[in-house]
Order: sequence, then structure tokens, then C-alpha cells
Amino acid sequence: MSKPQDVQLSTPNLADYMELPAPYNTIESQPALKEPKGSWTESNITFLDGYAGIENLVRPKTKEEEREFVEKFLSGMEKSFSDDTNRGMIMPLLLSFEYCAKCHTCSEGCHVYPASGYNELYRPIYRSEVFRRIAKKYLDKDGKLIKKWDENDPDLNWETLARLAELAYRCNLCRRCAQQCPLGLDNALLAKEIRKIFSQEMGIAPKPLHEKGTMNQLKTGSSTGMSKPAFLDVIEFIEEDIEEKTGRKIKMPIDKKGADILLIHNAGEFMAWPQNPAAFAILFEEAGLDWTLSSDILGYDSVNYGLWYDDYQAKQIGTGQFKVAKELGVNRIIIGECGHAHRASMVSMDRGATGSYYVPRESFLPLLWDLVRTGKLKFDPSKNNFPVTLHDPCNYVRSMGIVKPQREILKVIAPQFREMTPHGVDNYCCGGGGGFAIMNNLNFAEFRNTLSTRMKFKQILDAFADTIENTEIPKYICAPCSNCKGAIRDILEYYGATAKYNLQYDGLVELMVNGLASLDRPYLEFLLDEED
Amino acid sequence: MFLVIFLYIAFLAFIGFSLKKAYDFAKMPMHGRWELYPVPKEKGRGEYGGSYLEETKWYEKPRETSLVAEIIDMAKEIIFIKKLFDNQRPFWWLSYSMHLGIYAMIAWLVLLFLAVFIDSSLLNGLIALAGGAGIIMVMIGSIGLLIKRMVNPEFKMYTTGLEYFNLFFLFAVAFTGFLCFITDPMFQYGHDMMGSMLTFFPFAPSALVTLHLVLAGAVIIYIPLTKMSHYVGKFFSFHKVLWDNDPYLPGNEIAEKVAAGKSYKQKGQWSAPHYPGNQKIEN
Repeated sequence: MSKPQDVQLSTPNLADYMELPAPYNTIESQPALKEPKGSWTESNITFLDGYAGIENLVRPKTKEEEREFVEKFLSGMEKSFSDDTNRGMIMPLLLSFEYCAKCHTCSEGCHVYPASGYNELYRPIYRSEVFRRIAKKYLDKDGKLIKKWDENDPDLNWETLARLAELAYRCNLCRRCAQQCPLGLDNALLAKEIRKIFSQEMGIAPKPLHEKGTMNQLKTGSSTGMSKPAFLDVIEFIEEDIEEKTGRKIKMPIDKKGADILLIHNAGEFMAWPQNPAAFAILFEEAGLDWTLSSDILGYDSVNYGLWYDDYQAKQIGTGQFKVAKELGVNRIIIGECGHAHRASMVSMDRGATGSYYVPRESFLPLLWDLVRTGKLKFDPSKNNFPVTLHDPCNYVRSMGIVKPQREILKVIAPQFREMTPHGVDNYCCGGGGGFAIMNNLNFAEFRNTLSTRMKFKQILDAFADTIENTEIPKYICAPCSNCKGAIRDILEYYGATAKYNLQYDGLVELMVNGLASLDRPYLEFLLDEED
Repeated sequence: MFLVIFLYIAFLAFIGFSLKKAYDFAKMPMHGRWELYPVPKEKGRGEYGGSYLEETKWYEKPRETSLVAEIIDMAKEIIFIKKLFDNQRPFWWLSYSMHLGIYAMIAWLVLLFLAVFIDSSLLNGLIALAGGAGIIMVMIGSIGLLIKRMVNPEFKMYTTGLEYFNLFFLFAVAFTGFLCFITDPMFQYGHDMMGSMLTFFPFAPSALVTLHLVLAGAVIIYIPLTKMSHYVGKFFSFHKVLWDNDPYLPGNEIAEKVAAGKSYKQKGQWSAPHYPGNQKIEN
């Protein structure tokens, strides 16, 4: 890791990667990899594995700058091991830090490591061990810094830390490795703690997560940069769209004081997939729910990217979202199709940002299953009579234990529903987790499209193996999470799989609306195209 | 007599250091939720990884947990190291041999204790079986793991000097124990040691037995000071982190802890520019 920066530790090579199933089982059937641009190699950190994801991780120009960089990292590491500055995570951190038996049980649990053809850099404990060895050298057993950086330290220099920073963004934080650990230790947590040191102490984080993400959200109300007037415009557009597509005139309630439900969407849905909030509106109205959206700052975007890299940012956003609900006087918050927003709001912020801002939070999944189960929503499953598979967002299943409602709904509405292998709580990450889905900066998207999503793409192809070559049959990947959906959209585009093999994707609510007995025309775009 | 006193010190040190470690974890501030499913205590849902969050208005419904399900899951892990068996079989054989051997040695001590009060040939037979099997399993497991870590590049790359030493230390105890066992298959020295420990009546072990017992005592003191104390860590990892999914509800125990935690005044601060007060003033 401390090798000079002109040494790249590994080079991406499709021939080394895990083989994909047919029809992508040859290297020729996959897009060729691109060389990183010269400027990125010069200014950024492609010397880990040929990829770069952090713009403001730039080479120090002088030895003094290098010293400042390393010492800042060490001071951040000390804060990470302090029960004063890292109160919320000190116990989980110390346990995962201290007890690893290096039995490699976690390795097979990971999706990136096997997908890479067992590239050592991506082994779950590789980054943990680099971090562990630095910490053991520079901190005492109480986590106090015991020495200043030694410039001649063969193991610690700018290159080591730059590689470590990038390496923290080669883990999706999906925690599948932790599920398999006999000691209950969590390499994803260590990856996140490394990200935290860089962000919270050094201000170093990928632009899409920090500058354009949480900072933008705190300033404008949404990580998309969408302001209140823009949000209101979008809602108007969605209402028109609903009428055009379904013939129904729906007025989406906004800022309705005292409503039962405040529904918060990932704002990415408004921009990229407006059919999703529209589908929610159709279902909620049909079921006669008392609901509202909020146009308040932080009230119309459920995302909380801080979850992946910065506790402070996470708490700021979480508190803001709860405050909006409190002021509206709603009974509960329902989180729409966004996995990390679910976890941030319902789990991660539960002990940190609640208190006087306490408002009960729920997932949309049990609510919708209740509406299906009790007959408040009626379906004609023949409308969804094409192969459907379900991607389980890690945050719903592994981090929250919401496993059954989505499957129960699909069993009712989709006669050709089939599971991926493995699925449920044992699922594989979509490859977009931990922030990757929105990291299209530098050349990071290629890492995501070829490696971190590789296992998911394999699972998708396997799930549709019986019909993949039949382009007449649409095959639907139900991805009820905005970020997962984004990652899957990008895989399908990258491999041309929609055009070539009629692989389609969208959320759960769109499929539900498409299957509504009361609707007289298809809701899913690809079915409309077929009709045309 | 010094040996007996040393063994007492070793056992007390083991208990004391282990408790201290547990106390250190227990007194740490309440952490943010970091649960991981399946959580076995989730009644009726633990098997497939479900939770109370699968319910609408879960906060208005009574929490249903199953201590039995949790204990069964724990027992599978403690007795069989199930996760290792399921996911890393080649490593499990050696690790399980070592751990089962340690369990057998604990059983050996308990049986020796009983034998002070009960004179039974069956008990003596069980002592020989537990002691013999235990020492052989620890020996095979520790040397097997040591060799695996030395020759298998995948393991060698990650193993530190201290980790080699830990395994070697365990092997040294087991090997000297094995030499004692083959010269004394019914563990007369064990009976003598236990008798002496309970009565403080001196016993005169051979040089080999003395060496073995000194090493055994030393390793018993050493274990809780190292990461081999994972029997403590594992409890906290599972019970206090991965299976800790108790929600904040107004007025409940978590809410009280959250409220108590709010009175803490943080002394230090992170240095990134987005923290309040850290912004650099541009001229």
C-alpha cells in the first residue's frame, strides 16, 4: 500500500473477473474497459486499482503538505477511537477492530471480492487490516496517539492513506460479510469508519456524496438541488402525467397539517422516475389514505447520504426531516422506495436524532401489504403476466429485517414471480450500495458497472435464464429502492440488456399500479410501447 | 505449593481480566443502532431474518421476542461454531478441534473437582477420556492452524507475529500436556493437583508436569489479555450490537438512556471544514 504512486497495485482486466452467465459469458459480449484519463492519473488516485472516486483526494505538492495530510489522518484516527468524539460507534468499532481471527469466512460473503476474480485488494479484511496495522502502530491500547508520524515509516505515507481512502469506497457497506462472521465482526463498519475519518477530520469525500450530496441537501432541501418552487413544479407535472396516463385527476396533498401520513420520497424519483411518486399517489388515493407530502426544506427528500460517510451530516439531515414531520403534526412518516433512507430514518437516527423530534417512522412495504391483504387495493394479476424477479435492497432485509411484505405483494400481483438466488436476508447488494449508485464522477462508474454490480447482474441473468434469449418477453426486475434502481438501470444500459434482451426494471409500486384491477390501460412504459 | 498458588492466581487472573474486559465494554456509551438480521430473538421471524419493522404501526404493538430462539442460536454457535462450519469448512475442522479440545479440558477440570468427593471408576474413566481427547484435540487444532497460517499464502499474508505466538503458546501447553498424558494416561497428576488445590496439601509433580502446569497457568493468564478473549467480545458483538434492535419509544428504557446521554458535553471536535466553527475565513 505504501508503494510509490507510479505503481498501480492492480489493473482492471475482464479476463480475471467472475464469468457472467449467457448471453454475456464471453469477454466480447461485454463492453471493453477504458483507460483512465491522463489527468485523473496525475491528479487523483488511480494508483490503487485504476479507478478514482474521490475528487478532493489530491497529491500533496510538498513534503510539508504530506506531513500535514498524514498527521491529520492520525489525529482523525485518534478521534475515531475516542469515546468522546465517536460516542455513537465506539463499541461496534472496537469489537470489529480488536477481535478479527482472520479466518477469511467473510471473503466468500462479499460480492466484490469473488466478482473481481479474488483480487486481494477487494478482500473484506484487506482494508480493515491496513487500517488495523496503522492504528496498532500509532495508537496505544486506549486509542491515544503515541507518536508523531515518522517520515521514514515504510508502511505509512501519503500513498498508503490515499489508497486506503479509495479502498474505503470499494466496499458497498452491504454487511453480507458480517452476517457470516463467526465472531459477529463487521468489515463494512470499518470501511465506514475509514470514510468518516477522511470526511469528518480532513474534509475528503466523494463530491456526489458530500458537496453535491449532503451539503447541497442542507442548503437547498434536496441532494438533487431541487428547491421548493422546483418541487412544486414537478408535482404539478406529475399530476398532469397521472391524468394523461390513467385518466384520473389526482391532487397530490402538500403540507396538509395533521395528516395521518407524511410520505417522503427519495427526491431522485421526482427527477429520474416520476412514475414512482405518481404510483404512490394512485395507490394511496385508491386506498383512501389520509396523507401528505411536504414542501418544507428537507421535507421532500428522504435521502441521507451521511449514513455512508459522515455521522455529523447524517444527524443534521435526520433531525431536519423529523422536525418537518413534527411541525406538520402528522401521526407518522412513511418512507418511500429508498433503502438507505429507510435505514437512516428508522434505525440509524433512532437513538441520535429523535428525542423531542420523535415521530414514528414506517416503511411503505408493510403499509402496502396491509392494503393488499385487506382488499383495499384490488388487482388483476394477468396484467403483470410476465417474468418478474425481486432485488432485495440490503437496507430493507439485512439491516432492518423487512423481508416478507414485498414478497407477499408480488405473489398476489405477479403470477410469474421468481426469486433470485440467494435472496431475502442473504441477498447480494445491487452494487450501488454505500453511495456507489450516485458516484458517476471521475471513472468510478466503470468500477461499479463492471465489478460491484457484477454479482447482481449474474443473479438477474440467472433468474431469467429460461426466457433471456426471447426478446418478445419482457423480463421485469423489481427494485424497490431508488439507489438500487439506479445501479440496475446503469447495468442494463452498460450491457445494452434492455435493447438486446428486453430486460426491464422499475420499482414495486409501478408494478402494483400496472396490476390494479381498476385501471383500464397499462402503467408500465414498456407495455405501452408494446401496445403501440 | 508455589505451583498451587500460581494456579489459583492464574484462574483468578483469568476471571478478573475477563470481567474487566466485559466491564470496559459494558460501560461504553450507548451506541447507535447497528443491528444485522437475522436477529434470532424476533419471535416467529428470526428464521427468515424478519423483524417487527414488517408491521404497520409497529410502535403501537407489543414487542414479541423469544429468549428460547436466541438461546438455541447462541448454543449452536458456542457448541459447534456454526457460522464457521457453514461458511468456511476447511478452517472449521482445525478451529473446532481446538475449541472442542478446550471445552473438553474445562470438563476435565470439573470432573477432577467432582472426583475429589466421589470415588467412581466411571468418573475416573471420563476424566481420562475428557483429558486425553481434549489435549489431543487442542494439540492438533493449534498446530494445524499454525501450519495452515505458515504455509497457506492466503492466511500467511494476514497473520502477525503475535498471532503465530498465540497459536504456538497453545500448542506448547497442549504438547506438554500430551507428553504428561502418555506417561500418565489416567491423569493421576490431575487428581493430585485438584486435591492439593482444594486442601493446600503439597503435591510433588514431575518436572514435565510442572512445566506443563506452569505453561497452562501462564496461558490462562495470557488469554484474556489478548484477542483470544473473543468469548467476551463475541457476547458484545452479537447481544449488544448485531442483535440490539430495541427501538426508541417515548418513555421506554432506550428513551431514558438517550435522554441521559444528551447531558454529556463533548470535549473534542472533528476538524473538517463543514463542522460548525471550523470554516476557514477566506481573505
